[in-house]
Amino acid sequence: MTLLRLIRIAGQRLRSIARPSRLDADLERELAIHFDQLVLENLAAGMPPAEARRAARRTLGNVASLTEECRDTRGVNWLRDLRQDVVYGVRMLVKHPAFTAVAVLSLAIGIGANTAILGVVQSVLIDDLPLPDADRLVVIRSVPLANPAQVSGASLLEIFAWRDRSRAFDAIEVSIAGPRDLGADNGTPADRITGQSVTAGWFATFGAQALLGRVLTQADNHPGSDALVISQRLWESRYGADPGILNRRIRVGGTQMTIVGVMSRDFRFSDPRVDCWVPLYLLPNQTAGGARFFGVTARLKPGVTVDRAQADLNGIAAQLAQERPELQAGWGVRVRPLGEALFGWAKEPLLTLWVAAALVLLIACANVGGLLLSRASARRREIALRVSLGAGRARIVRQLVTESVLLSLAGGVLGLLVAWWGIRGLMALTPPIGLPFIAGVGFDVRVLAAAAALSFASALVFGVGPAFAASHLNPILPLKEPDPAAAHGDRQLARTALVSAQLALALILLIGTGLLANSFLRLSRRDLNFDPSGLLTFEFRVPVAQRPIGQHRGFTYFEMDVPPSQTMKRVLERLRAVPGADSVAAISFQPVNSLILPVMDVILEHQMAPQRDGAPRSRAAAYFLITPGLFHTIRTPLLRGRDIDNRDTAQTPWVAIVNETAARRFWGDADPIGRRFTLDSVPEEQPREVIGVVKDIPTRHGQIDPQPVIYASYLQQPLRYRGPWAGMFGQMTFMVRHAGDVRGLIAAARSAVAEIEPNRPIDTIMTAQQRLNFGRERLRYRVFLVGTLAATAAVLAAIGVYGMLAYAVSQRTREIGIRKALGASTLELILLVGRRAVVLTAAGLTAGCVGALALTRLIESQLWGITATDPATYVSVSLVLVVVAFLACLGPTRQALAIDPTLALRRD
Amino acid sequence: MPKPADLLQGTLDLLILRTLAREPVHGWGISKRIQQLSGDVLAVGQGSLYPALHRLENQGWITSEWKGSDLGRSAKFYSLTKEGRQQLERELENWKRLSVAVGLVIKRA
Repeated sequence: MTLLRLIRIAGQRLRSIARPSRLDADLERELAIHFDQLVLENLAAGMPPAEARRAARRTLGNVASLTEECRDTRGVNWLRDLRQDVVYGVRMLVKHPAFTAVAVLSLAIGIGANTAILGVVQSVLIDDLPLPDADRLVVIRSVPLANPAQVSGASLLEIFAWRDRSRAFDAIEVSIAGPRDLGADNGTPADRITGQSVTAGWFATFGAQALLGRVLTQADNHPGSDALVISQRLWESRYGADPGILNRRIRVGGTQMTIVGVMSRDFRFSDPRVDCWVPLYLLPNQTAGGARFFGVTARLKPGVTVDRAQADLNGIAAQLAQERPELQAGWGVRVRPLGEALFGWAKEPLLTLWVAAALVLLIACANVGGLLLSRASARRREIALRVSLGAGRARIVRQLVTESVLLSLAGGVLGLLVAWWGIRGLMALTPPIGLPFIAGVGFDVRVLAAAAALSFASALVFGVGPAFAASHLNPILPLKEPDPAAAHGDRQLARTALVSAQLALALILLIGTGLLANSFLRLSRRDLNFDPSGLLTFEFRVPVAQRPIGQHRGFTYFEMDVPPSQTMKRVLERLRAVPGADSVAAISFQPVNSLILPVMDVILEHQMAPQRDGAPRSRAAAYFLITPGLFHTIRTPLLRGRDIDNRDTAQTPWVAIVNETAARRFWGDADPIGRRFTLDSVPEEQPREVIGVVKDIPTRHGQIDPQPVIYASYLQQPLRYRGPWAGMFGQMTFMVRHAGDVRGLIAAARSAVAEIEPNRPIDTIMTAQQRLNFGRERLRYRVFLVGTLAATAAVLAAIGVYGMLAYAVSQRTREIGIRKALGASTLELILLVGRRAVVLTAAGLTAGCVGALALTRLIESQLWGITATDPATYVSVSLVLVVVAFLACLGPTRQALAIDPTLALRRD
Repeated sequence: MPKPADLLQGTLDLLILRTLAREPVHGWGISKRIQQLSGDVLAVGQGSLYPALHRLENQGWITSEWKGSDLGRSAKFYSLTKEGRQQLERELENWKRLSVAVGLVIKRA
């Protein structure tokens, strides 16, 4: 077919659609001319005028059908039919508002939830990151071979080995975040912010540009670089968005630095709390550090796959394990694409939600399908009438499917609202820690297309079956026989099956939710080994006046002018005098879920315990500074030895308390009390003697394996410190156990601290419970989302059960009436109605349990302290659904019992 | 008038296209011309003529235009499009093959 002809045909069609009346007028005129010519011809043949006209009319035949035949050639009849169907369908839907509302709402929830999740899955799991060479960017981490799930940062030793020995990478960039002290300047007070040290090529890896000025570049790759990039937030809050901010010199961590750029808050590859970036200069000889706390982002050489890079680094890890067994034995490497590293955590929750939403949509479809089936029965007369008036089966099916599509489109439009809300909800799943960054999730064409596709697909799923069922009518029966009681058993069967399927799907969802909720509760209630109730917490910081006095193994070497512990000691003593405070203590970072968790390498004085369980020979431990009385205040059981007390001062021998895990990991079965160790890479650090062992407080809320932890007195610290954790000396999280009114206590604590440091208010005042809840929010939110979907599913299933029984009762009104008249007992009537409910519920629950056994395996890894086949959850959730189904039966059963036999028999 | 058989319908298209090959003609003129040229053997009823014309137009083989006519008033003139001319060639070809085949069957049967 030539293009020209196509265009011509398209033009014709357009005319037919756009101006049918004009075409009709033309046609009428054309036929009138023909008629007039016939008349003229007849007159010429000698007929009288009236006879001539009559003859002409006879020749021309039925003008109406001729016109219709000509119109039919336009090829747009389907459009006319469609318009009719739509108008008729809308009329039908408006006439049955309850049916329409239930159908549209359930579809809206199903379509909306799926659309939202598809949108997020698309941009988070499928799309490439919006970065140049995104497919070549990888994140490299160290993993203990014995526990590959617990990935860790890389050590300098490893990073240098990779840089020197691997040929898989174009660039290997390193970063590390931690607190930084800003000096007072030009009226702005000293402050502590979160900063990130990054190597020279780090920003370039992400193709990042500064909002103002420049980012850090290779030009800053030298030990004396004083370039500083600040965040948009800091620029606005501290400097009032001063456009002349560039080249301003400020003191950061005791060093004069020059602001060279402002980073837009759209830059998402740092923790959102990072407020400044400083150059990290790695000296080539600093290969001693074994502590693993560096983030590594690398760009693969073109053509190198992730697998090849992984193999390359595996080889290097094996070499290192031989060269430096004391640091590297038992450690491997994991190379992951950047996108996966950023969003890998989201995969499981998203897929879980996706499955849940798909189940809800299926239930909604089954529900609407069931409603349509019973509607079809109610409309048997109408349909029979239309069939006897000559409507073809195809035409009937088309009409009914049009109604379904109308329903689902209405559901889809409403679903977009649900999706809008859902996408925002899913965005809130973004974790507070790490690299939160969801690339451009929003309402784009694809989301709309997904909603439209889902709408049509669901219309097909729920609409086509009932439409065909309805069109298979024998037109005679319904018109003759008014009471359809006995007929259409197979349709009843279809409905029963649909309702059972709804119950089964709902049960799967409910069991999944039950498992997640159960595990969430277990996690919330698990023994933290401290008592958060009645514990008020707040933070207090003293800017650490630090002078950099040189470099050692790559780290700036600081000297602290005034030991901050002296201020802390005065604050602590003053707080202990506050009325209402039963006991007061402090710890450098909150013990659970601290944003920053310093990890130190530990050198043991004695031989390490022989490996028994294949645990990594790691001698790294989380490190907290504490005041005396901490464990007493937070009620952590001391298993052996003694707590740190006032006898332990800077002048007495240095001591430490370890947790159970550290004791077991470092000294095995031997008694740890009296053993000595030294923190690596800290000059002036003295050997510490273990004086006590406390129970494990989990450092991370969701963490299953406890981590070794060392607690040391805040007074027994070196005056000089180098490394990333310099910030831990200037801050304490105070814990105040109290019995009475919290508000009064807060006010008293405020004024007490103000007496000592008038310019440094306490901040982040929360109860310990609030701090714990903080870390649970995300999990709680996930349970909430899945739970919402499951509740929706249960309600939909209940509507399904109710609708089916109510319909059955209304269809059997006469039968029930007769039975009643014949003296059937109430019990018999209940059984009559309820039998079907029992059968379908039993079938649904059985199918649901089988389905759940198969599907909950998907969430096994998200469960804590419970298996995916936990019988208690299965039984209790099934019972819940039985109750729901029972409640749904109540209405129809009461309706059946209330039937008046005399009225029922007189009906029709 | 009974509905023409398939053969006749295809033939009607051919006759219309052939009639329009020389010059644009209106509906009345087409029916008259086919009647005359066939020596009054073929009478195309309006019942098939107009649907055929509209179908051919909607298929893009012919176009139409209202203009002054010999009937003393403006009439709808149909004319062949370029594609319609090619279609006519194809239909003629078909017709020839068909009539030869029919002739052969009649002669040899």
